[in-house]
Amino acid sequence: MINRILRLGLLFILLFLLQVLLFNNIQFSGFVNPYIYIMFILLLPFELPSWILLILSFATGLTMDLFSGTPGMHTSATVLAGFIRPYVLRITSPRDGYETGAGPSMMVYGFRWFLIYASIVVFVHHLALFYLEVFRLADFFSTLLRVILSTLFSVSFIMLLEYLRKGK
Amino acid sequence: MRNLLNFLAKYNNLIIFLVLEGIAFYLLSTGNSYHNSRVVKGLRGLTAGVERRVSNATSYFHLREISQFVARENASLRTSVERLTSAENQLFFSVTDTVHYQQYTYSAAGVVNNTVNRQKNFFTINKGRLQGLSVDMAVASGDCVAGVIVGCSANYSVVMSLLNLDFRLSARLKSNGYFGSLSWDGDDIRHVILSEIPQHVTFGIGDTVETTGYSVVFPEGVMIGTVSDFEKSGGDFYRIKVALATDFKKLHFVNVIGNLRKEEQLELEKQFQ
Repeated sequence: MINRILRLGLLFILLFLLQVLLFNNIQFSGFVNPYIYIMFILLLPFELPSWILLILSFATGLTMDLFSGTPGMHTSATVLAGFIRPYVLRITSPRDGYETGAGPSMMVYGFRWFLIYASIVVFVHHLALFYLEVFRLADFFSTLLRVILSTLFSVSFIMLLEYLRKGK
Repeated sequence: MRNLLNFLAKYNNLIIFLVLEGIAFYLLSTGNSYHNSRVVKGLRGLTAGVERRVSNATSYFHLREISQFVARENASLRTSVERLTSAENQLFFSVTDTVHYQQYTYSAAGVVNNTVNRQKNFFTINKGRLQGLSVDMAVASGDCVAGVIVGCSANYSVVMSLLNLDFRLSARLKSNGYFGSLSWDGDDIRHVILSEIPQHVTFGIGDTVETTGYSVVFPEGVMIGTVSDFEKSGGDFYRIKVALATDFKKLHFVNVIGNLRKEEQLELEKQFQ
């Protein structure tokens, strides 16, 4: 138990180091900005009560806001992601259901399952985040394009990181 | 009570979610100036329609007072017209260019937005740069002081109300001519404070307080109000409470007074400072 908490803490720190030091500086054509810190929400254990999930999402988003100087923006998007995660897990659940004791991982449930699961959560998160950032509906479609492209990039990097995690 | 607990237990995730999102949105709208301005603008858009209707309705209810006000002003204007024309009512009269010696211009404007419940009150009038108004022109309600223009757009101007802590005006007692500084203490919207009147001056409650004309903004002798109370303050001066002649709660039409010779006076004074 303690071991798992420690590992999650380590994951949190690692993801934020990657996000702040590396991915925040990647801006493909000033248009696309991958946010991989949301992977922390993706990898939390199945049996975690929803309210802890929500509070952890809040803390994650707040941390990201502190780093990017945008109070509330990442927080509300990440809380939304944490809120929909149980529903996404329910609709993507494999035939045998989930094993308790292990978090969502590509190794156990397969590449395809993880891709669908991650894409939905990341898309909702990015949708909320980018529309909160522009905060108006005037540039609706250009924002949507940014959302989709950023989701593609974020999911790609998350899949890559998950693959590396699997190899370990 | 049990129903409430059941309800909370059933929707606890949703409630936590909404609370956390609420906090996040609060942070979003207070922490980011861009989001803040968008939120404020959105809310203002919602309330503007309602406010416009209310303003229409209230202006209708004030029609009686306004018509009386207009009638009174009409009467006084007619008197002055009579006085002016009677002088010319003779066989020979000289034609004078009236603009040549004119110092002040007057133009009427309507108040479209007004606050009195803040410490720094402003109101907006429906004339602006295109109608010849500019910053630092005086604004009077009827013939009583109301404020000074601090900002002009093409068709609107914002006026710093007399009820603003930053407002300073040179004012004097009409009965003896002693002048002091007039300002609002932020306390009561029907009273302002006249200070720096020396203690050897005699005056009574009910004495008129008017502008001095020492500043280039207001002409001389514009009514401000009457003395309602006074007390000694510090060593040598009185602190005089002045009951305002203008009721800022029902400001509808104002006169904007521009000084045509302001630049000339200021330029001359600048050489000796």
